[in-house]
Amino acid sequence: MQPPSPLRWRSVPAHAIALREWDGECVVRNEATGNSHLLGPLAGRVLGILLGAGESLGADEIAARLEAAAPDTEASDGPGAIEAVLAEFRRLGLAESEST
Amino acid sequence: MILRELSSRALKSLLANCGVRIRTGPIVTRIRSRCGPLVEGLALHYADYTVEDDAGFADFNVAIVRPGGPRRWLRPQIAFEFDGATPFFPLPADQAFAMLEWGLNWCVHFHCHQYLIVHAAVVEQGGLALLLPGPPGSGKSTLCAALVHRGWRLLSDELALLDFGTRRAVPLPRPVSLKNASIEVIRRFAPDAVLNAPVHDTAKGAVAHMRPPAESVRRAAETARPRWIVLPRYQSGATEQLRPLSKATTFMNLADQAFNYDVHGRRGFEFLADVVSESDCFEFEYGDLDRAVVRLSALARQG
Repeated sequence: MQPPSPLRWRSVPAHAIALREWDGECVVRNEATGNSHLLGPLAGRVLGILLGAGESLGADEIAARLEAAAPDTEASDGPGAIEAVLAEFRRLGLAESEST
Repeated sequence: MILRELSSRALKSLLANCGVRIRTGPIVTRIRSRCGPLVEGLALHYADYTVEDDAGFADFNVAIVRPGGPRRWLRPQIAFEFDGATPFFPLPADQAFAMLEWGLNWCVHFHCHQYLIVHAAVVEQGGLALLLPGPPGSGKSTLCAALVHRGWRLLSDELALLDFGTRRAVPLPRPVSLKNASIEVIRRFAPDAVLNAPVHDTAKGAVAHMRPPAESVRRAAETARPRWIVLPRYQSGATEQLRPLSKATTFMNLADQAFNYDVHGRRGFEFLADVVSESDCFEFEYGDLDRAVVRLSALARQG
């Protein structure tokens, strides 16, 4: 089993993105880059948690919050899937990480 | 006055001198040319359009001219001028009308930023607009040409103008561009359709234009509320399939097909998202034009 990632994650400020959600899928516009992106259900939920957190979160904390919000979350939404989403957010400029 | 009321001689004279000012929806274009194929193309395709007063304002000043030099006699060419500049390379003279149409599309999508402009055909029934966005080759113009011969009104075959203020689709009915096999398909589908002889060996292959129905031109001030967004895909031999498409995926497709989405920033995002929210969204694979038209018309009857 892999140890939990030491990275903590913070989304860009809410005012720096525009977001629209339909049936669990999201589209998001990053005001800093001018790019728009399609987010799948997990990515949309992770971004929602980061935007509402007001603090940086680790992947395990995000997983716990996802579980609390939707206890029937599939196993594929575990820390590994969440870390992949977070890495993609960093690439798209939607979130940044900091070391603990 | 409409253009067909001008004698051939009067039209030629206007085009050769001060230009003819043609209204297409909200846009007035002043066109000048001494090029024979262009005069014929205008007389054929723009017969039902309003010719505005000489003294009035023109949104665009364009001309189709013959460049100088030895090419003037050997394989003559024509060039598109916009406010005196020539933004494109010259083309063979027989492509004059097609070049005018391509040039006018360029004028609109580079300058009409009061609208969100999506690369889409738009047709209307009962005040409700059906948007058919898609890249070249998706079959949207063919489908659009067929629909306007089966009770739909043409708003545009190429450029959907979406008004930020009214949130409605603004008509820009212009000749429908048909390419390659689509030309014969539409001739068979609608024998009464008015098409010019195809011009071969253009950058897009063989191209012909279809004259818009006079009713669509006459009603060009009547906007329509976006109601359906259908992404068409022609597939030879395919049975038509109309499948719901998620709004998020539809949004991304529309954004990809919007010429000036980036120009409008967040406002463009919010507007496009509202249009998608208020529309039923589908992807549509079709292989038979008659059946495709029946399927989409059934969609309209459902309201």
